[in-house]
Amino acid sequence: MSVEKQKALTLSLTRGFFTGERFGNYLWCFPLLLGFAAWEVVTRAGLVPSSRLPTFSSVLVVFFASIQNESFLLRIGHSFLNLICGLFLAFSVALPLAFVAGSRNKFDLTLTPIIMLFGALPDLSFLPLLVLWFGPGNAAAVIMASLAGFFPIYFTVRQGTKNIPRELFDVTAIFKSDRFSTFTKMVLPAISPHLFSGLRLAYDFAWEIIIAIEIATRVAGIGSFIDGNVTSGSLQSGFAAILAIAIVAIVVDRAFFGSLESWTRKWA
Amino acid sequence: MENHVELENVSKFYGQGRRLHALHEVSFGVGEGEFVSIVGPSGCGKSTLLKIIAGLDKPTSGEVKFRGGPICGPHSKISLVFQAFGLFPWRTVLDNVEYGLEMQGVPKQERRRQARDYLEMVGLAGYEQMYPKQLSGGMRQRVGIARALAVEPEVVLMDEAFSAIDEITAEVLRDEVTEIHKQTGKTFVLVTHNLSEAIELADKVVVLSSRPAKVKKIMPISLDRPRDRTHTLFVHMHRDILHLLKEELENTFIRHKLKEISELQSIHDMEANGATDNKPQAKRAQVTA
Repeated sequence: MSVEKQKALTLSLTRGFFTGERFGNYLWCFPLLLGFAAWEVVTRAGLVPSSRLPTFSSVLVVFFASIQNESFLLRIGHSFLNLICGLFLAFSVALPLAFVAGSRNKFDLTLTPIIMLFGALPDLSFLPLLVLWFGPGNAAAVIMASLAGFFPIYFTVRQGTKNIPRELFDVTAIFKSDRFSTFTKMVLPAISPHLFSGLRLAYDFAWEIIIAIEIATRVAGIGSFIDGNVTSGSLQSGFAAILAIAIVAIVVDRAFFGSLESWTRKWA
Repeated sequence: MENHVELENVSKFYGQGRRLHALHEVSFGVGEGEFVSIVGPSGCGKSTLLKIIAGLDKPTSGEVKFRGGPICGPHSKISLVFQAFGLFPWRTVLDNVEYGLEMQGVPKQERRRQARDYLEMVGLAGYEQMYPKQLSGGMRQRVGIARALAVEPEVVLMDEAFSAIDEITAEVLRDEVTEIHKQTGKTFVLVTHNLSEAIELADKVVVLSSRPAKVKKIMPISLDRPRDRTHTLFVHMHRDILHLLKEELENTFIRHKLKEISELQSIHDMEANGATDNKPQAKRAQVTA
């Protein structure tokens, strides 16, 4: 019995991030490849003018050339760094606020309606103000990304905190856990499934915001690179950049959030 | 014998303006190594009482003493087994049992060893690396018991510890708790609504009244262990306690009715005295509803 269970456990642990249930199988490759093939056929046959849509193969050629180009990679790195800084800022403000809101009803009633009010506003409506205050630079991008990431983290963590069974607090009290251990060894793991899905949403939202800001304010980064290339007619470079962002976004999503979630899946 | 745990006139009020009277001057003693069961009508405040003994809650007045000293807050020699097990789902069985020792700062090697010993005691050797979700309810409660014992308490409190488990498993677990009680000689206090369980395990049963809970009766159980539920004395004991509790429920019902009647009476008086505002009608509607 226990040997079998042990095996099952090791199996679930060794389930890497491109295998197992997350991708299930490789069936999803077929429609994707089919889509690329259709793209290639349509553009080669001249059904769509190349000034609107370049061939897929030419995009791939530019893509592979671009990823060997230092300034191209730096632009991606630049956007990614802004994104990470924004998320970190969002995380460090939202987590404590959400935790207190989730555990103190008065605080929740005072704060959450205001946060909902701000959350209901389209984030980008603040952009002109931020540009006015901070200039069209990294600061504006980071703050916007953190604004976009704040809401999903806040609401998921708040809900997660509310969902902690009262009994678990009694357990920490009975075994005389201090406040710090209660937070790190009980509250954090207890809310982690909520926190992880909040972070994942924040990550997705922040990517969108970062690209939008770069396009709107021409901050150096991959978004302004796409914009610049598409408007100047080099569509291949634009598509290559989109492809690069997609790969970065998906790989980080699977590798980072995927492994966090596979940890929670073991016990939750 | 000096009492290990002593409750002196423990009263508890809840809510705004202390409106809800949960416990009323509850006093009884628990001797060292004694197994005490607390029973009472549902919602009478049994669990509140246990929480107060555990130091998780404070009495409004009165005192709980452990070895003669007052209890203010959880005590390292008093441990609790939870109704819904209270396990951390993200910790393995072994890590869960180690939790209390970890909080006490026991070094890793030492607490591992100790936790394994207690897991063995509750029959869970070989399950160390599993997560709670992989276990049945009965097995989870065994982990809960092992965790409570691992900190080597003198007093083990059990809050409806067998009520979330299927009956057959609970029966087996009760036998094991009896065995652990015999082996370790620790003091046990069990809150339960299951009379047979209370009688089967305890040296004495404290019967509480309905809210506000007072000690209605303390019944010593002097049957030999292991106890046979079909034994005449067992059956009589069960019948007597059941009778007491039924009486309590009836009293509550009557009290409730009397209160209604007196309220209606006062409304009637007010109307008769020529009160013209429409409040009495509203109140009557409220009462009769």
